[in-house]
Amino acid sequence: MLSAILLQTTNVPKTVGGPITAYWPVMIFFVFAVIFPVLPIVLGRFLRPSIYGKGKMRPYECGIDPVTEAHDRFTVRYYIVAMLFLIFDVETIFLLPWAVIYMGNDFSFTKFALLEMFIFIGILIVGYYYAWRKGALEWA
Amino acid sequence: MNLSLALQIQNVSPDVNLLLILPELIVCTAGVIVMMVDAFARPRQRWMTGGLALVGLVAAMAASFWMWSGWAGPREAFHGMIVLDELRLGFTFIALLVSALTVLVSMVWVEGENLPAGEFHSLLLFATSGMMLMASGGDLVIIFLGLEILSIATYVMAGFRRTDLRSNESSLKYFILGSFSSAFLLYGIALVYGATATRTGLAGTTNIAEIANRLDVSLYPPLLFAGAAMMLVGFGFKIATAPFHVWTPDVYEGAPTPVTAFMAAGPKAAGFASFLRVFVFGFPFVATVASVQGQIHAAWLGALVVLAIITMTIGNVGAIVQNNVKRMLAYSSIAHAGYALVGFVAAGATGDPVFKSEALSSVAFYMLTYAVMNLGAFAVVTLIARSGDRRTDFEDYNGIGFQSPGLAFTLSLFMLSLLGLPLTAGFMGKIMVFRAALNAGYYSLVVIAVLNTAISAYYYLRLIIVMFFRERTTSWSAPRVPASVIVVLIITVLGVFYLGLFPNRVLDAFKTRPPAVMATR
Amino acid sequence: MYVHLSWYLALSAILFTVGVVGVIIKRNIISMFMCIELMLNAVNLTFVAFSSSFRDVTGQLFVFIVMTVAAAEAAVGLGIIIAIFRNRESLDVDEANILRL
Repeated sequence: MLSAILLQTTNVPKTVGGPITAYWPVMIFFVFAVIFPVLPIVLGRFLRPSIYGKGKMRPYECGIDPVTEAHDRFTVRYYIVAMLFLIFDVETIFLLPWAVIYMGNDFSFTKFALLEMFIFIGILIVGYYYAWRKGALEWA
Repeated sequence: MNLSLALQIQNVSPDVNLLLILPELIVCTAGVIVMMVDAFARPRQRWMTGGLALVGLVAAMAASFWMWSGWAGPREAFHGMIVLDELRLGFTFIALLVSALTVLVSMVWVEGENLPAGEFHSLLLFATSGMMLMASGGDLVIIFLGLEILSIATYVMAGFRRTDLRSNESSLKYFILGSFSSAFLLYGIALVYGATATRTGLAGTTNIAEIANRLDVSLYPPLLFAGAAMMLVGFGFKIATAPFHVWTPDVYEGAPTPVTAFMAAGPKAAGFASFLRVFVFGFPFVATVASVQGQIHAAWLGALVVLAIITMTIGNVGAIVQNNVKRMLAYSSIAHAGYALVGFVAAGATGDPVFKSEALSSVAFYMLTYAVMNLGAFAVVTLIARSGDRRTDFEDYNGIGFQSPGLAFTLSLFMLSLLGLPLTAGFMGKIMVFRAALNAGYYSLVVIAVLNTAISAYYYLRLIIVMFFRERTTSWSAPRVPASVIVVLIITVLGVFYLGLFPNRVLDAFKTRPPAVMATR
Repeated sequence: MYVHLSWYLALSAILFTVGVVGVIIKRNIISMFMCIELMLNAVNLTFVAFSSSFRDVTGQLFVFIVMTVAAAEAAVGLGIIIAIFRNRESLDVDEANILRL
């Protein structure tokens, strides 16, 4: 029904990417990925003898019993470092279009793009110094 | 692969014109400098950041005045991403004025509250650059970017008193609803981008002038409607129109008072700037109603008429029952968005360039008058609230009229101006907006707006009555008025009278001059 | 056999709706926050689908910008959440009720 609405006019290719057959390897991989863990579990159920004992129900059957909750609280520093990482990590995405366009033939534009990218990185460095000076990178 | 091929095939020329974004560049640079000064100066020198911010804002204002008067170059750059017209310059001026007044109000306040001054001022400058980009963007990309620069900085500013739970909550609510509405706006942009592909095989566009050309040859007209509706919802949230206003009172009450002053005047004006540009220029009036363009135009205009009516009514009725001055002013700000929407409707309803430019300038003028009187009122509220924003209820204003006559009289003046008393800026703003709507033939809308103004008299006058005719039961010590706030009060009081008595120069400056009419169609 | 554009649009519309409904009905701030990210990524899918269908780069560049903005929003949002948690030790929005509606 949706495609009926969208298909009022046809002149532009309305498909996305390659033919759907290109997804066959992915589908085969998916099937194998499902079979691989499920098969041993199912087979094991039929092949193994099932005998339960008290020792067997202890965690991992080795080591010592856990003494604290699994929900332990972390220091807030982890979050701050994680947030800084998030920002600086994602900003590098803008290096990609620049790197692609850098291959172009237009020399004057290449110079312009180079300059722009150094300004961009310079702004990132300013932000980094700011976080540093404000003590966001210090542990303890 | 796809990306590199496409970029190589097109002859890439960036169409750079840095002079055309000079005010934005100045404000951004000032923001970075303020940040660095804050990081490297000794704690005792950090008061400088406010002064530096002011210098940057004044320089940007000078640059925009230069562009206003003596610009002879091309009126768009970066392939139409940045445009230069009176709409942009007017709203740029409002953004810079709001920001400068906020710096003056907050200079001493920041120190008194023991908040980091440098961070506050650099965030304020970044928010201002976002507002200016929203006004100058001729492309949906720039408008979205400007909106996000503005919003992200404002989320932080709303929660600036980190140890105060009210401020935290205000920031959280603003953040959740702000990013929610940004997502709506963005989905609208995506759908419009897809829908503006043409039957002749052109790819979609996000350039606003180009969108207007493509409406009738759109490949997917239904998506165009959906996209326009989504953008309407997104902008509706940003400027706090009625069904989407629920965040406003909470956020305005909880945020620190100078930040509330900024949020009520600045982001709202910037939201109007891009709202106007996207809808009035992107989905413009057309005489043939049967076409796709005509249908879209009729649809959004009808929706805006309804929104304007609901917004005015809910804002004014909501303000009546409030007992907190900041909440009352928040509802009043919703109501004022409704009045400005009346002018917006007038701007959208006509194809005649002269009437359209008059209506557009009336909306810009309205936002300017609102910014001036609102910032003045909030400056007084900041002083009376004292540290920690503790005294913002109506009872705290009982009987201060004759004990601090200066503050009480200026606040009364701003209340009367917000109400729209003749000779004040608020009156002239309303007259301009209503006249534009009458020219466009929206008589009933204007009647409803006037009735709403009558309702609003109740709560504006109530504050004046509380100040002058109520008995004060608790002790009152007059707040010390810092010099910077005195400057703000002088500027805003003079502004209220200047805009109320001699509006013509400002209005003419906001009007589109003939060459730009040709350029923007 | 090719994948039709409308399937991508339908998928992104569904994801967007899931995000909207999630923001409205979820009571935990982190969950609401994740739903907003879901909405933004649904929009990204729309952009990429159109862009790929038109053989045009504008949409893909838009996606870069949206991703960066989403990261900045995430950082600010987490900062706000940490500030609230320090003051209140709970992340339930129903307890965020000092400011009434």
